[in-house]
Amino acid sequence: MVGLNEISKGVVEGNANKVLAFTRAALDADVPAREILDQGLVPGIQKAGDLFEAGEYFLPELLVSGKAMSGALELLEPILARGDTPRIGRFVVGTVKDDVHDIGKNILIMMLKGNGWEITDLGVDISPEEFCSAVEKGDYDILGMSALLTMTVTGMVETIKALKAAGLRDRVKIMVGGAPVTQAWADQIGADGYAADAPEATKVAAALVRKP
Amino acid sequence: MARFNGRDRVLRAVNRQEPDVVPTMEIDIDQRVIDAIQPGLSYADFCDYMDLDAICYYDMKGKKYETVDEAKGIVRDEWGALRRFTRVSRTDPLPVEPAVKSPEDLNTLVRADPDLPSRYTEIEQAVRTYKGKRAIIATVLDPFTTVAEIIRGEVNLYVDMIERPDFVHEVNAIARDYHMRYVTNCIDIGVDAIWVTGDYAMTKGPMVSPTFTARFLTPGLKQIADYCHSRGVPCLKHTDGNIWPIFDLLVETGIDAIHPIDPAAGMDLGEAKEKYGDKVCLIGGVDCGALLSWGTTDDVRQAVKEAIRKAGKGGGYVCASSNTVHSGVKPDNYVEMIRAIREYGKYPLSFA
Repeated sequence: MVGLNEISKGVVEGNANKVLAFTRAALDADVPAREILDQGLVPGIQKAGDLFEAGEYFLPELLVSGKAMSGALELLEPILARGDTPRIGRFVVGTVKDDVHDIGKNILIMMLKGNGWEITDLGVDISPEEFCSAVEKGDYDILGMSALLTMTVTGMVETIKALKAAGLRDRVKIMVGGAPVTQAWADQIGADGYAADAPEATKVAAALVRKP
Repeated sequence: MARFNGRDRVLRAVNRQEPDVVPTMEIDIDQRVIDAIQPGLSYADFCDYMDLDAICYYDMKGKKYETVDEAKGIVRDEWGALRRFTRVSRTDPLPVEPAVKSPEDLNTLVRADPDLPSRYTEIEQAVRTYKGKRAIIATVLDPFTTVAEIIRGEVNLYVDMIERPDFVHEVNAIARDYHMRYVTNCIDIGVDAIWVTGDYAMTKGPMVSPTFTARFLTPGLKQIADYCHSRGVPCLKHTDGNIWPIFDLLVETGIDAIHPIDPAAGMDLGEAKEKYGDKVCLIGGVDCGALLSWGTTDDVRQAVKEAIRKAGKGGGYVCASSNTVHSGVKPDNYVEMIRAIREYGKYPLSFA
C-alpha cells in the first residue's frame, strides 16, 4: 500500500516529519486509519523494539522512534475513535506506592499504544487501594505495575493482596516490571507476566490476552 | 600481616593491593536499618560503631529545598527542578520535573552554587573526627546524572542526544563546571577519595550506545578522574546495571574502582576480576535485592564468601552491597554480612 512501508521505515529511523508526511498522504489517499496503524506504525515500532532488545538500539533511538510514531498516532486517534476498530485490549498501568520513577512506564505506554492497546495511565506513587479502584471501575484486560526501587517492589505484593481481598484478582491479568523485578519475583508474588523491558512487555501482554 | 586502619585498607584495595583484610564500606545506609541495629546513631557514627572502613558523604544530603507542595512532599531544588520526598526517599527526593523543560529554559537556568559553605559542614566534621582512621569519601553525582535527573530530564536528554547534540554538550558543560568545583572543594578539605555516582546502565544493558556513552557520558567522568589524580586522590565510579558493553569505556576514563557489580543485572565479580582486575578495583557484588532483603543469614554468609573468593585474590576488592543498604535490607543480614567479611576476608585468603 502507498507509503505504508515508508511510515514503518520512518518510525524505525525516528524521522517524525517523514512519518507525519506519509501518514497525511495515506489519509488523503483514503487509506483506512486502521490500515495505516496496522501496516505502517505498528511494524515500525515493533522493529524499533526488536532492535532495542537485540542491543542495537538504546533509549535515545527507541525514544525518537516513539516520538515519530506518537505524532502520527495523534492524527489517527480521532479517526480510530470514531470507528469500531477493535483494540488488542485495555491496559491500566501505574508506578507503585512511594515510587515516582516513570521513564520505564512511559516507554511501555508508548510501545503499547503503538501496538494497538488502549491505555489508562494512573501515574506514579499509586497505592494498592488506587489500583483496586481502577480495576473495579474499568474494564481492563491487564493491570501493569512498575517499580524502580528495591524498597518499593513490595507495593506489588500489597496490591495483589488487596485485589484478592476485594475479590478483583481474577478480573485482570497482572504484569510487573522495573529494575529490581525478575521473573522469579513475578512468579513468587503471583503475577501473570513479567518483562525485562517495554518491547518485551508488548509481546508478553499480547500473549496474555491471546485467546487459546 | 600488619594491621591497617580503615583508610589504609580502602586505599590499598583501590590501588589494587592487598590490605590485611578485605575492606567494606557502603555508599549509603538507610536510617531504618541503622536504628534497628543501634538506635539513634547518625550514618557516620554507625560506620564507626560497625567499624566500616570508610565514611561517605554525598552532596544531595543537606541540600536546601524550597517547599512547593507540602502535602505531596514536592520541593524545588537548587537548580529549579521539582523533586519529591516519599516514604522511601526521605533524605534524597526523587526527580519529578526537570529545570530545563525546553531548550530555551537554559537561558534562565539558575546555577546551583558549588561553594555554598553549608554543603561541606558534614565533610569537614568527618575529616576532623575520622581523618587518618577511616577513609573519608565524598560522593558526587556524575555530571551526566545531574543533567539527566535534574537539569534536563531523562527523556528530553536522550532525545536531545539525537536531535540537538550541541545542546547536550552545552548543558553537560554547566553540570561539569559545578561538579569540578565541588570535587575541588572536597579535596581541599581533605577527603581521601571521590566517588562519582550516577547510573550509565539498566538491568539489561547501557542506557545509551557505546558511541553515545563515549560522546556524552564519559568525558565528564574522565575530567573528574584526571583532576583527582592531579591531586593524588583516587576516583571511584558507581553505576547500576549491566555495564559489560561499556566496561572498557569506563576503564579508559582512568577511574580507580568500579561499583557495584550488581549480580541482579547480570554482572559477575569473577568475570569482572578476570577481565578488569588488573586495571580497576572492584567494589560491591553482594546482592542487596533478594539476598539482603529476603535471604537468610546463612545465605548471606555464603554469598560474602563467594564474593571474596571471586574478587578478593591479590587485593583490589572492597566487599559491599550491590547498591546501598536500603530500607528493605534485613538488619540481621547486614550485621551478618559485615561479620562474614571480617571472617572470610583475612589476607592471605585461605580459599580464593
